Amino acid sequence: MKEFMEAATVLNNRRVGEWKAQGGRVVGYTCSYVPDELFHAAGILPYRIRGIGASETTIGDTYFGPFICSLPKCMLQLAGEGKFDFLDGAIITPGCDSMRRLDECWRKAGDDNPGVLPKFFFHFGVPHKYSDYTIAWFTVEIQRLKAAVEGHFGVVITDEKLAASIRLFNRGRDLLEAFDAFRTAEDPPIGGADALAVIMAGTTMPRERYTELLEGLVGGLGRSASRITGKARLMLVGSANDDVELVCAIEGASAIVVADNLCFGSRFHADRVSEDGDPIEALARRYLAKNECPRVYGEYKARLATLRHKAEQARVDGVVLQNIRFCDLHGSENGLFERDLEAAGIPCIRLEREYGPLVETGRMKMRIDAFIERIRQRRKTA
Amino acid sequence: MTCVAGCDVGSLTSKAVIMDGDRIVQSVIMKSKAKPWESADEVMRQALEKAGMSMGDLAYCVGTGYGRDKMTFINEAVSEIACHGKGAQWLVPTARTVIDIGGQDCKAVKLDDAGNMVKFITNDKCASGTGRFLEVMAKVLGVELADLGALSAKSKSPVTLASACTVWAQADVIQHLNDTVPLEDIAAGVNAAMASRMAVLANNIGVARDVCMTGGVAKNEGVVASLEKALGVRIKRIRKSDPQLAGAIGAALFAKEKVDGGMR
Repeated sequence: MKEFMEAATVLNNRRVGEWKAQGGRVVGYTCSYVPDELFHAAGILPYRIRGIGASETTIGDTYFGPFICSLPKCMLQLAGEGKFDFLDGAIITPGCDSMRRLDECWRKAGDDNPGVLPKFFFHFGVPHKYSDYTIAWFTVEIQRLKAAVEGHFGVVITDEKLAASIRLFNRGRDLLEAFDAFRTAEDPPIGGADALAVIMAGTTMPRERYTELLEGLVGGLGRSASRITGKARLMLVGSANDDVELVCAIEGASAIVVADNLCFGSRFHADRVSEDGDPIEALARRYLAKNECPRVYGEYKARLATLRHKAEQARVDGVVLQNIRFCDLHGSENGLFERDLEAAGIPCIRLEREYGPLVETGRMKMRIDAFIERIRQRRKTA
Repeated sequence: MTCVAGCDVGSLTSKAVIMDGDRIVQSVIMKSKAKPWESADEVMRQALEKAGMSMGDLAYCVGTGYGRDKMTFINEAVSEIACHGKGAQWLVPTARTVIDIGGQDCKAVKLDDAGNMVKFITNDKCASGTGRFLEVMAKVLGVELADLGALSAKSKSPVTLASACTVWAQADVIQHLNDTVPLEDIAAGVNAAMASRMAVLANNIGVARDVCMTGGVAKNEGVVASLEKALGVRIKRIRKSDPQLAGAIGAALFAKEKVDGGMR
């Protein structure tokens, strides 16, 4: 667990350091719609850019202004402080409008402060719909990214290498599926904060080592006699969260997060990439088909069905619908989820929070405590 | 006699209630100190002293409010949301929606017939619409907080505050004072602004009748009347006890349930 936790909570973790010491290159990305396999096939470490550890947002506020999500602001803050100097490149997507603006703000910060912008800086387009024509467009966009990576880093990404990377990442997805089964079990052997760390570590360390660690963990959990019992079972949904501490604050002493639908969480490993046919098109199909993010238009019913399915499978007592302040996508969709899940008999609580160091744990704790009391009252009267 | 107690430490005031069965034996409301555990110790000490009792005479004690986890003498901590719901329904048995405005937060709680929480919401954006808002405005107006309601009742032409932000609303109030607008009209504007913020929150969970209001602000008739207007429903006035004690009463009732249930 220690290595997973270190990879999930330390930006320039030990494995990244070793990779760099061996001359390896690292490319960061901001959104789960970027295909890691492409970088792995190029011999580059794909690294999901984080916002953890920012203790202020003076740089972020300068470029973004006050009324916007604090996650990209924290990312820019860390970049401005030199915390991402180990990155050889960065990919920005229009995951949401705040994240899209990171492209412009980071470039401007780079103009003002030479060295802040990685040498390879790429805006990667992601359609907002899933259809034949958007898959075709996205396939071309991945080819454009591939050509840019090959050109900048002087590498060739062959179909064979890409197919091998897809197989390796699919192996990781299979293992994470097996891991999820332990996590959602009746008396799980692992809590929600640790589970998030396990999943997130996959975005910040070399894939071979991660797969090896996962195999050991899943095997170990199968043999473990340790069980977490007597807690209110929660599912965590909503805005991006890469902070293990947030899950700790929610779990407190009387709850356990047994399931999630976060892009840093179990959404990350949902669905395999097809190992047949053209690998670029297979990547386009898998990554664009991830409709769980509210950035995808016209998929609300499918997302609701996913949540209901997950809630049922994990036998959750309640759902925490959180969003970062000014997150319009999750903020508005959480309102719909609350309406529809409550109507289906699943208690929900909505939490609006600041990202990162500004998180208001006192008031959040009060609301979570009350939510758990509501769940317990409900159990008593059921 | 089996006495239980509830202790509610808020950001502005601390409250303690000692109950024997369904009867309030003694209660205290005092201004909170900087450290919540000191407030808890002091308010409980005063309540026990008034009742002529000691901690050993209490069968069970429940703590609530922001300082609940720091209280050293309680048997259990329960959130203020649940306590206000519980206390409000004891004060007004027909209450199904409870609106509580405390020092630094405001909440709306929907209850079922048994007093269980069905839904709740709290302010999570800023301190606008809380007791602190009124406190700041009363200070700017140069009146006592407790007089704000009576003052606003005299208003003939309430002002409208342009901003919901406490700091900017304060600037609005200063502007009105400079323009020599009568104090009562500004006070009425302050109360109406407070009520409209609270109405947004209450409407979010859906208002079910009867509605009652707890917390210190429930004693401000100007806010209560403005809120009735904003929500379009009559708010049941609490007569049985001080509405500011609702959280502590709820905590004491949870303590009583523990004792009645054999402390399981």
